Amino acid sequence: MATRLVEVNEAVPALSPERQVTWPSRKRARLSNGLEVILVESHTIPKFHGDLYFRSGNMAAIDRGPGLAEMTATVARTGTTKRASRQIEEDLRRIGADLATSAGSDTSSISFAGLSEFAEPLLGMVDELAREAAFPEAEFERERRQKLEEVKLERTQPGFLAGERLRKVLFGTHPYAQVSPSEEQVAAYKRDDLLAVYSDFYTPENGLLLLVGDFQPDAMLKSAEKVFGAWQGKKPQTQALAAAATPHGRRVYLVHLPGAVQTQILAGCHAITRKHPDWIKLGLTNSLYGGAFNSRLVMNIREDKGYTYSPRSGISALRQHGYFSVSAAVRNDVVAASLTEIFYEMDKLRSVPVPEAELADAQNYLSGVFSMGLATQNGLLGQIAVVALNELPDDYLEKYRAKVRALTPADLLETARKYLDSANMQIVVVGDRAQIESQAALFGELEIFDAQGKLLS
Amino acid sequence: MKRLQIAIESTTLVNGLKVVIAPDTTAPVVTVGVYYKIGFRLEPRGRSGFAHLFEHMMFQGSANAPKMQHIKLINSSGGVLNGSTHYDVTNYYEAVPSNALERVLWLEADRMRALKVDDENLRNQRDVVKEEVRVNVLNQPYGGFPWLDLPPVAFRNWANSHNFYGDFNDLDAADLADVQAFFKTYYVPNNAVLLMVGDVKPEEGFALAKKLYADIPAGAPPPFADPAEPEQAEERRGHVEEKFGTLPAMAIGYVVPKRRTTDWCAMALLDQALHGGRAGKLYRELVLEKQVAVELDGGIEDIFGYNGPTQMVTRILHKPEYSSEQALAAFDEVIREIQEKGITEDELAQLKVKWQSDYFSLLEGGHGGMPRYGLMHLLACFTLLDGEPQMVNTVLDGFLSVKREEILAAAKRYLRKEKRAIVFRLPVAAGVKEAA
Repeated sequence: MATRLVEVNEAVPALSPERQVTWPSRKRARLSNGLEVILVESHTIPKFHGDLYFRSGNMAAIDRGPGLAEMTATVARTGTTKRASRQIEEDLRRIGADLATSAGSDTSSISFAGLSEFAEPLLGMVDELAREAAFPEAEFERERRQKLEEVKLERTQPGFLAGERLRKVLFGTHPYAQVSPSEEQVAAYKRDDLLAVYSDFYTPENGLLLLVGDFQPDAMLKSAEKVFGAWQGKKPQTQALAAAATPHGRRVYLVHLPGAVQTQILAGCHAITRKHPDWIKLGLTNSLYGGAFNSRLVMNIREDKGYTYSPRSGISALRQHGYFSVSAAVRNDVVAASLTEIFYEMDKLRSVPVPEAELADAQNYLSGVFSMGLATQNGLLGQIAVVALNELPDDYLEKYRAKVRALTPADLLETARKYLDSANMQIVVVGDRAQIESQAALFGELEIFDAQGKLLS
Repeated sequence: MKRLQIAIESTTLVNGLKVVIAPDTTAPVVTVGVYYKIGFRLEPRGRSGFAHLFEHMMFQGSANAPKMQHIKLINSSGGVLNGSTHYDVTNYYEAVPSNALERVLWLEADRMRALKVDDENLRNQRDVVKEEVRVNVLNQPYGGFPWLDLPPVAFRNWANSHNFYGDFNDLDAADLADVQAFFKTYYVPNNAVLLMVGDVKPEEGFALAKKLYADIPAGAPPPFADPAEPEQAEERRGHVEEKFGTLPAMAIGYVVPKRRTTDWCAMALLDQALHGGRAGKLYRELVLEKQVAVELDGGIEDIFGYNGPTQMVTRILHKPEYSSEQALAAFDEVIREIQEKGITEDELAQLKVKWQSDYFSLLEGGHGGMPRYGLMHLLACFTLLDGEPQMVNTVLDGFLSVKREEILAAAKRYLRKEKRAIVFRLPVAAGVKEAA
C-alpha cells in the first residue's frame, strides 16, 4: 500500500498575503404586495440572473399527489392568458433570455437569465408566468405523457435507484421518503389539481425574488415594483408533517439491476438542516471525509486502491431534515472491500483527532471555495439563495470563513461522533444480485428489491 | 447592445510557450490553465483512450511534487482543480484564491518539465479510468450516446472514428514507455499555452511565467497525423443495442464546415435555429407539436474548439409507439422545410440576440465551480488553433453579420442525406435483458 504521508517539497512557493474577500452589499426590500426582493450588483457581463422562489414545493402538495408541484411548474411555462407556448419561447429568444420552471421538495421556482438591456420585458415574462399561467388542457396532457416516459426511464439509472431507495429507508412514512411519483400517480394527475397548487403556492406573500447582475439596484427595484406590483395573493397555510423515522442498526438494501457491470453504493444516515448551529462543523468534517478531491476517502479508494472513479460524501439539506451520505460506483468484485474502507475512514474520524496540519488544509479549502461564488453572477446568486431560503443571518457570508477557521480537532471529533453515524448507516447497493449479494450481506440484514421497487427477498 | 472589450495580454517565451492573461479584479480569485494541443483524435493507433488515460497520469506525480501532492497543494490553498481531454486539446486547470497564483504556476511548471510516475501509478489509474468508463458509459442507460456511437459510423479515418474513451484491451496494453513517449512528443512548451484569468496583474503574471517556465526545454515540433476524411457520398447508418433504457433512440450527424470558413458562422446560426432550446425548430416540431419525441437536444459541440472533421448532432429519444423510420421522417420534414424556406428576418434577429447573450454566459460559465472556465477555454483554443487570443473580442462580429440567404445556402449545402450518418440505439427486448 502506498504511503499516505507526503512531505511538502521545500521548493513549493509559499502563499502570498490574502487579498480581502469583500461580499457585495445586498439590497433588501418588500414590495407593496408583500413580495420579498433581494438585489445584488455584479458587473462581470452585461446580463443579470434571477430566481423567483415560492416557499412551497412537492412536500406541501404531497396530499394532493406526489410530484404535483413539479408538474405544476412544468405546465406553467406552456401558456398564459396572453401568450401561447410558441409565443413564450420566441419572446424569450427575442430578448436573449433563458428561463426554467421547476419544483423541489420544499420550493417551486422560476429561474431566469438575460441581457440587462431587456430586464423589464424578462421580468414581465416572469410575472406573467407566476400570475397568469393558463394551463392549457392540451399542454397539460402532453406534459403528463412525457412525464410517464420519464418516470419509466429513471428506473434504469443506477444513481436514481440508489437515491430513491435511501430516501425511502431514511424517511419511512415522512413525505421526504418519496423522491419521484409512480406511473399510476402521474396518470392520476388532474388539470384542476395543478390549478389549485398554482393558485395556493404562486403568491407574492409566499415569494422571494432574487436578482444579481449588471444593473443599478434602485432602478431595478423600481422596475420590479412596476412589473410585480399589481399581483396579489396570500401566504398558503402550512401543514405540519409527520416526524421522520430514525432507523437503528446497519441494514443493507440491494436493488437488483440485471446485467449491471458496476455497483452503485450509497450509504446514509440522518443529520441536520442548514439552519442547525452544527452545520459549518459538519461541512468541514465532510470535506475531510469525502467532500473534496484531497479527502481521506478519495485518496483511499480511488488514488490508493483504484476501486472507483467518483467517490463522494455530502450533506443533503432539506427544510425539515438533513442527511449525510457517501457514494461510490465501484467494480463488482470490490463492493465489500469498498464498504470496509468507507466505514474504516468514518470510524477513524470518530476515534482519532484530526492532525492540526490536515485540519488547516481543510479549513483553507472550504473557505477558499466558498469565495469562488463572488466571481460570477450565477455563483453569487447561488450563495444569496442559500442564505435567504434558509433564513440564515444577514452576515452569514461575511462570517463564514472565520467560523470555519475557528474550529478545532476536538470540534471535529465531536461532530463526527454525532453525525457520521457509522453504526446506524443504511446501505444501498444497486447492481447485479448474482455478483454482489454475498458481499452486501456481510454488512447487515439484507433486503433485495427489483428496479420497480418490489421486494424480492 | 453593449460591446465586449475584455482586456487580454499575451506573449511567447523563448521556448515557444505562449502565455495569455486576462486580468479582472472582481473577486480575489484566479483561474489558471495549461492547454496542450493534443486530444483524443490524434492519440496513437492501437492505443485508443490513451490521451485520456495520460491526462490522469499528469496527476500522478512530477519531479518535485510526488503523487497526491499536486491535489493536496491546490485543495489546501483553497482551490479546485481538474483536467479534461477533448478532440484536439487537453487541459489542466485550477481556480484558486489569488494568493496561491505562484504555487499553482510552479505546480504546472513542474509537471510540464518532468513527469515522474511508475507502474503502480499506471495500474491504479487504469483501474480508475475503467470505472469512469463504466459509470459514464457501460453501466448507464444511453451511456456514451451518441458521442461514442456516431464516430465509428460517420467516419473512415481512424483518427475520427475510434473509441475515444478506449477499448479496455488498449488501455491494458498501454505501458510506461507509452506514457513517457507521449509526454516527450506532445507535452512540450512549444505545443502549449498557459492562461491566467482573473485577479492577476499582467506584468506580475508574465514575470512569474518567465521565472518558472522559460528554462523548460523546447521539444521538436510534434508530428500531427492528417485527420482529413475521404469525401462522403452516401448516407451512413449503424445500430447499437441499448441494454438498460426503455425508449428507442437515434442520433443524426451532419458534417459541418471547417472553423473560420465563410460558412462556419451561417452553420452556427442554422444550428441555433434547429437546436436552440424550446424555441428551436426541432424541439418545437418533434416534442411540442407532433409529440413524437420525449427528449431532443443537440448541436455543434464546442464550436470554437474543434480542429478536424466534426458533426452537428441531433439526439432523440422517442416514444415507443413510433417506429424509428416514423421518427426520422418527422425529423426530415423539419430539415426539408428549412432547406426550402430558410428562416424569416424576425427569426434571424432573435437568433442573433440569443447568440450574443449565450456567448456572454459562455465566457463567465463555470465548470464544476470553476469561475470563467469558458473565457479560459476560448482564449486557449483561439491561441493554439488560430494564434489570436484577441478573437475573444471580435469573433462575435462574424456571427452577427450572417444573412438569411447564407443560412438558406448552408442548409442546402450541409444538411444533405449523403453527408450524414445515423445511429439507432434500440432497447433490447425485456426477456433478453433478464437472460443476459
